[in-house]
Formats: sequence, structure tokens, C-alpha cells
Amino acid sequence: FCRALCSTPLPPQLIKHPGKELTLRSLAEMGFSETQAEMVYDGAKKHRCKHDAPILVGLFALDLNPTSVVKILEKCPELYAVKGSQLQQRITNLRKLGLHEGSLQRVISHYPQILTLPVKRVSAVSRLLREKCQFTTQQVTDVLRDSPHVVQEEHTRLEYMFQYAFFRMGCLQAEMVKAKLFRLSMEELQCRHGFLERRGLYQTPDKKGQTLILNPRLKDFLLISEETYLSKIAMATQEEFDVFRKLMAREQEEERKQEHGDDDD
Amino acid sequence: TKWAGSRPKVPATDLALQHFDATYGLQLGDLWPSVRIGMLSEKKYGALLNNFASDSDIVSSFHSQGCRDFISAARSTESQDPELHDHTAAPLSSNIQCFVFPRGDVSRFKPARPDSNGLLSYYLLDAASVLPALALDVQPGHSVLDLCAGPGGKTLALLQAQAVRFLWANDLSGSRTARLRRTLQSYLPRELLTEDRVYITSSDGRQWRNKDEHKFDKVLVDVPCTTDRHSLTEEDNNIFKRSRTKERQRLPLLQMELLLAGIQATRPGGDVLYSTCSLSQLQNQCVVEQAVSVAQKEMDITVKVQNLSSFVQLFSHTFHFAPQPAVGELVLPHLCANFGPIYMCKLQRIS
Ligand SMILES: C[S@@+](CC[C@H](N)C(=O)[O-])C[C@H]1O[C@@H](n2cnc3c(N)ncnc32)[C@H](O)[C@@H]1O
Repeated sequence: FCRALCSTPLPPQLIKHPGKELTLRSLAEMGFSETQAEMVYDGAKKHRCKHDAPILVGLFALDLNPTSVVKILEKCPELYAVKGSQLQQRITNLRKLGLHEGSLQRVISHYPQILTLPVKRVSAVSRLLREKCQFTTQQVTDVLRDSPHVVQEEHTRLEYMFQYAFFRMGCLQAEMVKAKLFRLSMEELQCRHGFLERRGLYQTPDKKGQTLILNPRLKDFLLISEETYLSKIAMATQEEFDVFRKLMAREQEEERKQEHGDDDD
Repeated sequence: TKWAGSRPKVPATDLALQHFDATYGLQLGDLWPSVRIGMLSEKKYGALLNNFASDSDIVSSFHSQGCRDFISAARSTESQDPELHDHTAAPLSSNIQCFVFPRGDVSRFKPARPDSNGLLSYYLLDAASVLPALALDVQPGHSVLDLCAGPGGKTLALLQAQAVRFLWANDLSGSRTARLRRTLQSYLPRELLTEDRVYITSSDGRQWRNKDEHKFDKVLVDVPCTTDRHSLTEEDNNIFKRSRTKERQRLPLLQMELLLAGIQATRPGGDVLYSTCSLSQLQNQCVVEQAVSVAQKEMDITVKVQNLSSFVQLFSHTFHFAPQPAVGELVLPHLCANFGPIYMCKLQRIS
């Protein structure tokens, strides 16, 4: 159980003084600068974490340096309150999901909130991606690595996004992973796709997977800046896209209202 | 939806889109994607002000919502630019006012409400469909024929100029003339709707050839067409349904016959305005060119195509016009100014 945490040696100060009360001094001994130590100290206090914050042990055990640790805690002060045992379980679970050295640190630095979520919740998302959306285990790992915030998304939203890309746009799972699909909001996906589609530059493949035109690849129009998207792919002006965005938002708003409002249909 | 069971495998709206991709892709080239997305997205309306209603607050209410009358806006550009002043085709002297939201603004108008006399204060329509009425340039005392008038948007615009002495509004379809009549009743005081001022009939416009007794100063021939925007969005009454293929293919012929009838109903020196709400060259320029030549050869009537380019230039802030078709002018749909398509061509009868 402890293997994960102990795989990297703890800084000597932490080993020497287990359970020692957190002080500016002990923080300085861990390698924090004076200002960093003050920030961590205040943060810990605010979150009523009197003894050695387990999160510090955990993060140092991942070989993260004091500066990264401070950044992570600034992004997500809730981590001060996470118990040691929970933290260990959560990190172990992320490793089980395929996030190994390097990826694990990246995910935690980018999206520290992932350590505040129960193991169950994170696993449920990974199950959803595997079972309902039929991503392979490796693909699920890639999704978690590229867009860790999926663990906090509503399942219906994730599934809808997948279905939109799969059925409406005719994309395969591998393309979705390459395009880092889940980094986008549903609205943005629909705008970029719908804009191309209505301009006649994207077609939903028929039952045999065929289209009359050559569709651009998903990553080629999602993984680029809006400016490049407009000039290279959509060949349209910013003004047109801005208006389209407004119209799409309203169309969707009205669809939602119809679904909830009318019961005749 | 009710009709789900009997719905054909390929919806007519899809057939229309396939057809347009093939023909307009060629015709419009690089412009087609922008036009296409315009037609597939929500269109913009204009509010044609009812000069006969007495809601005095309506103009200031429009202004406070941020919309403006695109016609008077154009008139003020005209007075600033002497080069534009000298256009004989259609001086902008009319009382017609049509309010629109600015470019890129997608706000909508509320439905009009009746004034104290029960008359509605404005009529919502494609703002570009006011252009044919403006281009026709009705002057005080003129008699006007509106050959295909139902449901009446352009008729109403013509009457807003407050210049028409006598207007004959015709449409083949009885239900459409009934709708036209109801529309006029909600916008015009009863004393202006007597038969000696506004006369409404339901007959085949092609038969006008035989009615030689009436000659009009101005004739509007707003023909049935593929109504491109409608065909892309509505399954109901869609002319791209397979069962209506023949009817659709015969449209250019019907259009030409209607235009010829309109030409015959015009007095020498008078004007005919031909219009459609389609982008199709076949239904626009080709029909006009054919009709002009048939009128000459078979009826010994000379008509001259009027140049509307300076007129059109005035409105280029509000509408996207196609780069010079051979004859006539064409408003292209565009997301930022999503009006049209409207094609119009003005002809003067010489002899
Ligand atoms: C484009 S719509 C006219 C719209 C109208 N001008 C307006 O602005 O509201 C064409 C009309 O032509 C009518 N029509 C079709 N065939 C006709 C014919 N042979 N003679 C007269 N009208 C005809 C249709 O009933 C339809 O109302």
C-alpha cells in the first residue's frame, strides 16, 4: 500500500520529525523559501491542518520541488484538508489507471483538484469512458493525462460529447484522443464543427463511412488557435464566426427549452 | 412530429442542399460557403414601418433598441456623396421606412401590436424584399400592378410610399389573396382599401396578356421560385420534394411567361420589376434575358434593362450584394447581414 508513497525517498526532515507540528521553521527545513513557507503556513492554518500536512509528504514523495508544491497548493488549497490515507489511495488509483512517473506529476500539477476526489468518482469516469464510450485502457489513460478535468464532468455531458463526435461527426475514438477532444467545451466543439458543416466543409459520413467531400481531421481543426482555424480551415472572417457563436447559443437554448417545455412533441 | 411515419427517406431540405451545392458552388465559387451558412442559419428581419398607424412611440422605441431605418440612413449617405446623386434608375424619394438591427447584431423584433385604431404598427419581413418596391420608384399618381402579390409583403411596401393612385394586386392562389386581404386590413385604414384604390384578384398572371385595357405605370412581377432559404429549412410545401421535380423544372418557363405578361401590362415608358428569392441564374438573369428577347421578337415590344448599380451601392452597408450579375442585382445571404436571397431586375418598356 505504502509502496507508491515510499517509492521516492522522503526529504530527511520529514522522516526525522514525523507528526511534528507545522512551523515556519519546519517548512523552511523542507526547502521552502521564506515567503513560500509563510504562504504554506497560512494556507495550512486556514484549512485547519495543524499537524504535518499529509499533502506535503505526498507531493514531496512524488519528487515535486517546493516551488511546484506551492503552485499546486495555491491552485487548490482544499488539498491541505485531505487525509494521508485518502491521499495515498487516490495516488495509487491514478497509477492503476496508467498514469506513471512524469504523467502523474503533470496531471497533478495541472489539475490538483483530482486529488480531492474520491477514488470511486475517478474510477467511475474511467469506467464510463471504457464501457459506454469504448475507449481502450490506454486511450482512457491518455484522456486522463490530456484532460484530467473530465473526472469532474457530469457523466451525461461526457457521454453526449462522445456521442456527438462519434455519431454526428463520424470520428473514431483514436481520433478523439489525438485531438484532445475533451479539452473543449461542448459548445466550442459544436461551434467549430457546425460552422464547417454549414459552410459545406464537413459532412457526416453515411452508413458506409463515406462522404462526398474530404473532411478535415478532427485534430486539424480542434488543436489550433481560433485565428488559424478561421484562416486555414474555415476560410471565414472572425465577424462571421462571432455571429455564428451567438446564433448557435440561441439555437441550443431554444432546443433545451423545447425539450423541457413542450409535452406535445 | 406528426408526419414522422410518412416522411420520405431523404428529406426535401437535403435534396435542396445537394442541388444548391452543385449549382451555386459553381455559380458563386468562393462566396458560396458564406452564403450557404447564411441560408442555413437564422435569417434577419426588417420592420417595415406602417405609415398609416398612429403609434407615435414606435420610432423612438426602435432607436432605443439600437435599430435604424436603413433607407433614410442610405439617403443621408447619398446627400453626402455627389457622385451617387445622379442616378436616374431609382431616386430615393419614398416614404418607405424599414428598421433593421445593425450588422452582426442578432436581436429579434417583437411582434407588432395594434394602435388605438386597431392597425399594426409594423410588418416583419426580409428587409431585402423592400428593395424591389424601392427600385420600382412609384411616383404620386401612379397606377401599379402587383402580379404575384400573395401574401403581400411587397404590396404593403409599395403602399407605404403613399404615392400609389391605384393598385391591382393579383395572385393565382385564392388562399394567398385571402391572406393578402387580411394583411392589408390590419395595416391600412378602411377608406384606403376601396376597390377603386386597391383591387384584389385571384387569377393566372400569365393570362394578363389578354387584358389589354389596363396599362400600368409600374408593374411588380415577384414570381414563384425555388425560395432557396425556405427550401433549405422547411419540409412543408418544399419544391424539392421528388413529387414536384417537374414543377420545379418548369419554373423558369412559368417565370418568363409571367414576366412577359407583366411587360405587356406596362404602358410604354413605364417600368417592370422582376424579382425572385432565389440565387439561381436560371431563374434570374436567364429568365430576364429570354423575356427581353421574346418580347422583342414575338410581341414587338422593346424593353431596356435599367442599371441599378448606383441604387444598390447606397445599400451596401446593409446588404451583401453579389458582384455584378450580367443583368439585375442580387442580395446574398451572409451571417453578418443575413437577408435575402433577393434578385431584382428593373426593365423599362420603350415601345
Ligand atoms: C414569391 S411569391 C410572392 C410574394 C409576395 N410578392 C410578397 O412579397 O409577399 C410568388 C407568388 O406567386 C403566386 N403564383 C404562382 N403562380 C402564379 C401565376 N401563374 N399567376 C399569378 N400568381 C402566381 C404564388 O401563389 C405566390 O403567392
